[in-house]
Amino acid sequence: MSINPRKSNEPTHITLHSQEIVRIFESKSDCEIWAAFNKGDEMAFNYLYRVYAPILYQYGFQFSRDSSLIQDSIQNIFIYLRSKRGELSEVANIKGYLYRSIQREIIKNLKASTKREQINSDALENSFQIEISPETSFIQSETNSLRRTKLQNGIDQLTCKQRKALLLFYQEELSYNEIAQIMDFKEVKTARKLIYRAITSLKEFIKPAR
Amino acid sequence: MFQDKDPIKFKDYQLEDFLTDEFFIQWVKNPNENTTHFWEKWIDANAHKKEVVMQAATFIRSIDYQEKHLMKNEIYLEVFEKIIRGDLKQVAQKKNPLILFSWNSIFSLRNIAAIFILTFCGWIFYTVAFEKPIAKEDPIQWITKINTAGIKTVLTLEDGSRIHLNSSSKITYPNRFSDSIRSVVLEGEAFFDVAEESRPFIVDLGKAQIEVLGTSFNASKSSEEKLEVALISGKVKVNDHKGNQVMLLPSEMLTIAEDGEFQKSKFDSLEITGWKDKNLVFKNADFPTVKSKIENWFDVEVKLSGRLRKNWAYTGNFHDETLINVLEGIKHTSEIKYRINGKKVELYN
Repeated sequence: MSINPRKSNEPTHITLHSQEIVRIFESKSDCEIWAAFNKGDEMAFNYLYRVYAPILYQYGFQFSRDSSLIQDSIQNIFIYLRSKRGELSEVANIKGYLYRSIQREIIKNLKASTKREQINSDALENSFQIEISPETSFIQSETNSLRRTKLQNGIDQLTCKQRKALLLFYQEELSYNEIAQIMDFKEVKTARKLIYRAITSLKEFIKPAR
Repeated sequence: MFQDKDPIKFKDYQLEDFLTDEFFIQWVKNPNENTTHFWEKWIDANAHKKEVVMQAATFIRSIDYQEKHLMKNEIYLEVFEKIIRGDLKQVAQKKNPLILFSWNSIFSLRNIAAIFILTFCGWIFYTVAFEKPIAKEDPIQWITKINTAGIKTVLTLEDGSRIHLNSSSKITYPNRFSDSIRSVVLEGEAFFDVAEESRPFIVDLGKAQIEVLGTSFNASKSSEEKLEVALISGKVKVNDHKGNQVMLLPSEMLTIAEDGEFQKSKFDSLEITGWKDKNLVFKNADFPTVKSKIENWFDVEVKLSGRLRKNWAYTGNFHDETLINVLEGIKHTSEIKYRINGKKVELYN
């Protein structure tokens, strides 16, 4: 079915491209973006969703393999945040804040649907698996390839907490402070120690064998 | 955050020190002018550390999730849509007003008297789950009114706003509005005569939202997700879910295509709003348009036997006419003849 051929005299094309929104906000600090969102700026919300929905989705899979549960959780936190606009407190690191929220939301939803013990122990033990990404890794020669395998083995020996901390620290570029909050540590130094120990155990695999 | 950027501090750094240093990681992952300047200078001055710096940097960059879960576009959009809708429901039920729409400041209350029209190229609804939200402690009830083909109704809302609901259309509205917002959900087509007041009036069309303060307008939604908003007077704002926003002036019409592209044009008000005053208007209409208009207007099924010449189009205006008179009219000015058999109309030539 087509619409009536109602031709315009001079059609004007108006498209505020998404890039435009990204351009406006990407130079702003997290604090400023959050404040704009809190004031009800729909573009700020649009930017938050655009930037964080995909990474929350990726992050969510570390807690559950249920895609619809993750979608619901993302949806719930955004609906909640939108409903609280005007009364939200300051947020200095949006990623850290949203990661904490999604974690809480997913675990809450998991608890509602399954038995508690399953979530706390086994289910999460295998999450936060790390891969040494090939394109940036040291493989150029056979020795390097061997070293990479050893490094990967070393990483696989780490505890789930250590892997999580390394991913948050290197892949997600979060600070010790943020990591401590996400991982529910009372003190920032606990996060420091956790990462330091992991690195020490991997040190020999990172250094070239001489 | 990184107060001590004293180059001396890094002099005795070993691999593990670099790997646990936030300032170093920031440079590796997300270099900016400052960090790049600092570290390039530092490496120049500490050439013997270059190798260990490279090892550390390579390691930092290589850490990645083993499994990647990309959010597919459909999911991305679906969740977005649900957030916006969830939001509307929640706001509609909320007692405390929220500061929601910055456009309060854009339009003064006085200047608004608008008519919008949204017309869709199809009349089929896609069945978006838009159930009546459950209000537990809140006595707001959502009412759904559905018109089948051939039926047009007029409703009056609690705030005095009037809605002409066209055939094959469905509207969901609360028995009373919240303190902060007036929102309704529409599928199909309707003409709104909105009582002027301070609470914004929002028509949720799924793909886009129309916001006004007090005015008259007409809105609809189809399976093909193409929509049109035509404004007779006043000013309105149309937002889609991608964050695009368009203001319309009187006698301007906005078309949003299936791919989300916006286009502004002029329009014929009789053609667009005529239906509510019982005017069945065809303006240079192609056959599918004529067919769907007649089907919806008279609740009949239209079939074409034979072929029409290419570029066949029909123009005509009928005020409150019977099916036979409309078909007679079409017969007179075009090569089409007709046969009526109960609810079936056969057109042939």
